Amino acid sequence: MNFQLTEEQELIRQMVREFAETEVKPIAAEIDKNHRFPKETLQKLKDLNLMGVIIPEEYGGSGADAISYMIVIEELSRACASTGIILATHTSLVCYPILKYGTEEQKQKYLVPLASGEKLGAFCLTEPGAGTDAASQQTTAVLDGDYYVLNGSKCFITNGGYADTYIVMAMTDKGKGTKGISAFIMEKDFPGFIVGQTEDKLGIRGSSTTEIIFKDCRVPKENLLGQEGQGFKIAMHSLDVGRAGVGAQALGIAQACLDESVKYAKERVQFDKPIGSFQAIQWMLADMATKIQCARHLVYHAAWLKENNLPFSAEAAMAKLYASETAMEAGIKAVQIHGGHGYTTNYPVERFLRDAKITEIYEGTTEVMKMVIAGNLLK
Amino acid sequence: MKKVVACYKWVIDEADIRVEEKDHSLNFERAKYKISEYDRNAIEAGALLNEEKGCEFLAVTCGPNVEASLKDVLSRGPASISYVNEEWLADVDSSVTSKILAGIIKKIGNVDLVICGEGSSDDYSQQVGPRLAALLGYASVTFVNKLDITEEGIKVERKLEDGVEVLEVKGPAVVTVLPDINKPRIPSLKQILAAKKKPTEKISLKEIGFDINASQPKLKTLSISGTVMERKNMQINTDGLSIKDAALKLVKQLNADGSLA
Repeated sequence: MNFQLTEEQELIRQMVREFAETEVKPIAAEIDKNHRFPKETLQKLKDLNLMGVIIPEEYGGSGADAISYMIVIEELSRACASTGIILATHTSLVCYPILKYGTEEQKQKYLVPLASGEKLGAFCLTEPGAGTDAASQQTTAVLDGDYYVLNGSKCFITNGGYADTYIVMAMTDKGKGTKGISAFIMEKDFPGFIVGQTEDKLGIRGSSTTEIIFKDCRVPKENLLGQEGQGFKIAMHSLDVGRAGVGAQALGIAQACLDESVKYAKERVQFDKPIGSFQAIQWMLADMATKIQCARHLVYHAAWLKENNLPFSAEAAMAKLYASETAMEAGIKAVQIHGGHGYTTNYPVERFLRDAKITEIYEGTTEVMKMVIAGNLLK
Repeated sequence: MKKVVACYKWVIDEADIRVEEKDHSLNFERAKYKISEYDRNAIEAGALLNEEKGCEFLAVTCGPNVEASLKDVLSRGPASISYVNEEWLADVDSSVTSKILAGIIKKIGNVDLVICGEGSSDDYSQQVGPRLAALLGYASVTFVNKLDITEEGIKVERKLEDGVEVLEVKGPAVVTVLPDINKPRIPSLKQILAAKKKPTEKISLKEIGFDINASQPKLKTLSISGTVMERKNMQINTDGLSIKDAALKLVKQLNADGSLA
């Protein structure tokens, strides 16, 4: 057993941390305040070859390992959770399924520009009536000659409106339940593809979250991803990778909470002493640090399993479950340690707390994670 | 094609050094290493000459623990690194360092330009560059904040205390660069991953004809202790004090502290 990151992984952490500290952190509060999607950051992520971390070089990516990918998302999210999820969604839920299930033509046409950072991706599974019950898809896809015609709407789509390429789940055969769901690769310019309302959110306000509507949207037959009826499996497999990524995002948020809290505990003087000298604060810091370390091990371990082609679905769920709860707890403690200042936008911890909440919800709620874990125990 | 070599030092990251409260001694327990700050500028200068002028670009170093630095440096541009890794180099001064670096550079052969940082992040002696020039028989140019290779030779701009000097150097030279010469790159993921494919050459002291007994350090560090700044945490402008009265109060306090003496 080896808990040591490789020299390469350490260098990747150093690189992303330097980038995040100098280019991402300085605008994090501003993009949150203005609900502004940080387009300029995408160009920089592209220049650093971070848009396709786990995608092989032959398909435009960098060919790094899954733990490195976790480190990238963790370090970006430590500076800005919005930026973390923009990249995690693009990589885990769009690049990865095309790599895994796409034809060679689809990989050349869609994956290469996505993984090289020319294009941005989004993933459309959730619908107004199909959240946790993702199998209840109402969006339909009907074959008409050389095209599938899609009708329906999706909601809470991360990168919606800014993405060029969308993976969309739709029912091709309602009678078959989950086996009647198919996955399609769609372009934003397809006729009948409409970006709907943008959500006004509690946190991750720098990321875009929109409705996507399909009105007789015609998708070429060759854009079917995998086989007809394979969509639910593709979605669940992609979400396994995605959940490890959200775990890494939560880990980054939690670490940021700890970093700011340690700094404040040393600076803030009350009763003539830094507040870090009081046991009440020390215990909060110790709890945060311990849980963050647990979360880090879970996230990296899930990635290690994936990298070694071992089953990792339950472990990814554990990583997301634990890391997201840790991020929330760390957020609450960080604000508490900062007292009144922590409740204001003068310090970043209120943003961390708002950003943390979504990690318990998207890509499967905490309750769904427990269903996945228990399901693996009892099957 | 001109051959350019950047020298760098692998130093303790000063941000990780802790000063012990009781005796102000330095605690290095959790200290990591990094490329000396200005040497990052030297490496970037070499990388730019490679990319923009097609120069061959290599790096050299010596020290007690430099193998940990190789991939980091290789991700920043050089095609290869030649190095001497010896434990006893932890306690040497710039006279020894420059002799070893000169030996490595001579072994590489036909080097047109050597780039060093103006001084290292730890000792900041500013001696390695000029000493190297003397040992190699090269021209020495310090305080460089612009560097170019032209048909005529090496063109540099030196930023001096009272002005700017522009020079053209014919023949091989050692230049020491200032931090404002460039902004060192953040290596991309592909550059990091490609670093492992680049060659490195570990060189023995014997190969460069270095005699330890004849080259003992001339400088010996007896002790190092940190300085701790203690704050009084006083607020001068309390209770609605006017600016004038607050200024007078501040002056009185500074006099009482002996700060204005």
